[in-house]
Amino acid sequence: MKVIDDVLVRTEHLSKVYPDGNVNALCDVNVEIRRGEYVAIMGPSGSGKSTLLSMLGALDRPTSGEVYFEGERLSSMPSLDRFRSEKIGFVFQSFYLLPTLTALENVQIPMFESNRPVKERAAKAKELLASVGMSHRLHHLPSKLSVGERQRVAIARSLANDPVLLFGDEPTGNLDTKTAELILGLFAKLHDESGVTLVVVTHSDEVAARAERVIHIRDGQVVEDSHISTATTKIA
Amino acid sequence: MWFSTFLLKNLLRRKTRTLLTSCGVAVAVGTTIALLGLSESFENGTLSALEKRGIDIVIVERGVLDQLSSDLQENAVDYVAALPGVSKVEPALVELMGYTDPNTGNTINVLLQGWRTDSFQFAEFEIIEGRPLQEGDDKAILLGVTLAENVKKHAGDTFVLNEEELEVVGVFESFSTFESGGAIMPLKGLQAMSFREGSVTGFPVILEHGPGAPTVAEVAEQINQLKDNEGRSLNLLARPSREYTQEAMHIKMAHAMALMTSLIAVFVGGIGMLNTMIMSVVERVREISILRAIGWRKSRVVAMILGESLILSAVGGVLGAIGAVVLVSLLTKLPTVAGFMTGRIAPQVIFEGFLLALAVGMIGGLFPAYRAAQLMPSEGLRSE
Ligand SMILES: Nc1ncnc2c1ncn2[C@@H]1O[C@H](COP(=O)(O)OP(=O)(O)O)[C@@H](O)[C@H]1O
Ligand SMILES: [Mg+2]
Repeated sequence: MKVIDDVLVRTEHLSKVYPDGNVNALCDVNVEIRRGEYVAIMGPSGSGKSTLLSMLGALDRPTSGEVYFEGERLSSMPSLDRFRSEKIGFVFQSFYLLPTLTALENVQIPMFESNRPVKERAAKAKELLASVGMSHRLHHLPSKLSVGERQRVAIARSLANDPVLLFGDEPTGNLDTKTAELILGLFAKLHDESGVTLVVVTHSDEVAARAERVIHIRDGQVVEDSHISTATTKIA
Repeated sequence: MWFSTFLLKNLLRRKTRTLLTSCGVAVAVGTTIALLGLSESFENGTLSALEKRGIDIVIVERGVLDQLSSDLQENAVDYVAALPGVSKVEPALVELMGYTDPNTGNTINVLLQGWRTDSFQFAEFEIIEGRPLQEGDDKAILLGVTLAENVKKHAGDTFVLNEEELEVVGVFESFSTFESGGAIMPLKGLQAMSFREGSVTGFPVILEHGPGAPTVAEVAEQINQLKDNEGRSLNLLARPSREYTQEAMHIKMAHAMALMTSLIAVFVGGIGMLNTMIMSVVERVREISILRAIGWRKSRVVAMILGESLILSAVGGVLGAIGAVVLVSLLTKLPTVAGFMTGRIAPQVIFEGFLLALAVGMIGGLFPAYRAAQLMPSEGLRSE
């Protein structure tokens, strides 16, 4: 376990209102995530978990408030695209692999934005697939892979550009318990070995149990954060 | 994996649509190449026939659209010949007459040129059968090789035109496809046959060159001012060969028709491309958002959509160019067309057609690419 205390990403009075339907998806959220932390985000469906991820990962802009990454405001960054491609990785519940590309090709997709020459891209993708135990399935199409294998390929893809911050939005939501266990093992390995900061949205207590910290969200607000003493953060 | 490999794989997901869109571009580009190529070869054929013989100026009647409808007094040739700077000038008559094949009943148009039997225009001619025209020939005709093949006539045969029985004295081959596809008669004979004695359609002029000789423009100006003995204008319009060719009505018409048809074809091809690329973006909304979320910049999305449409159009361009070359070479083998055009398309026209294909791809892909770039990267996190 590394001892880390510098803040990687932090929100200040973060709110998000979706104009269509006038939904207050997030209200005045203040959280801090430290470098190297493994954080689980829990909460009922529709409570704003995915919205929070998309704010933290610069997929969407907040209605008000601010997100700071390594102390810098996202809103004043010259290119969020570039920030995302260099610093952020995403793993989704439904994997979202490209159906006509093999595992090896899928992992290379984010690398088009890097300066790696084509041979290195393939080599790096092989390495990543090996690290998730998929060396034997390099040239398989997603349709020929089990769901667990697809998620492993997706994890390899999320690591393509060496992100410092990896998000998972219910990454085990479509998996059976045994496969989910395997994926969680991968996340744990990643966290322990490469020091990636992990923020994983989940419904599952097993996932939460693996994390160092659990943030509970309800109706767009943080209602509990295990990192800070529960007594002080419980909001009425 | 190369980025281009990725684009190809995307296109191959919808093979039929990809093929049809490319075919749309191919038709547009092919039409353009074929028509522009033909009209260009039409123009070049005319011009090179003049230039090879050293003809500097062509005189026709002022105010007519075409040499075929020009009507000038043959004796104007003497006024022109007397001008300083003129080396050679002679009368020429051009007529278009229908020839009906007695066996098949098919009628084809024959471009007939009436020349003096000692005309300087016989330069660069090859008599491949029989003999050239001679002094005293009257009801005689020299057939161009293409025409001779089409009508299956040889030296010594009789050729009936306008109910007049003509003797085929020889068969010639000219570097000019126009001439090889037509026929040449003694001026007097053609005048008699078309009931216009003493009348011609134009005068080719060869100038003196060298130090002190007047320029082409100066001589042309002189010719335009010419009056007969009674002080009436001879109504001559003299133009340098190149200008004459470009201004000739049939060539202008051919260019204009080619251009119009091509524009329509390109417009239709462009709409097809636009439609395909919009559909392709709409189908992949979520996928494109995911690509953004996993690290793609907007510019990469734009490159993907534009790249795909450029590949589609480049494939279409190649197909179209091949189609055009094949089509034109087949077309120019038809008896009705053979005399007027070569089957060769200038490489430059093919190149321009290919650029046009890319332009179609660019224009058809820009808007869809812009739309794709506007998609939010957060789409992948929305619950389905
Ligand atoms: N793009 C959107 N447009 C409109 N409303 C949205 C959009 N995304 C999410 N919402 C709404 O915002 C709320 C929070 O959604 P979300 O963050 O996806 O919750 P969770 O991930 O916790 O299930 C929900 O009420 C949802 O319907
Ligand atoms: Mg969600």
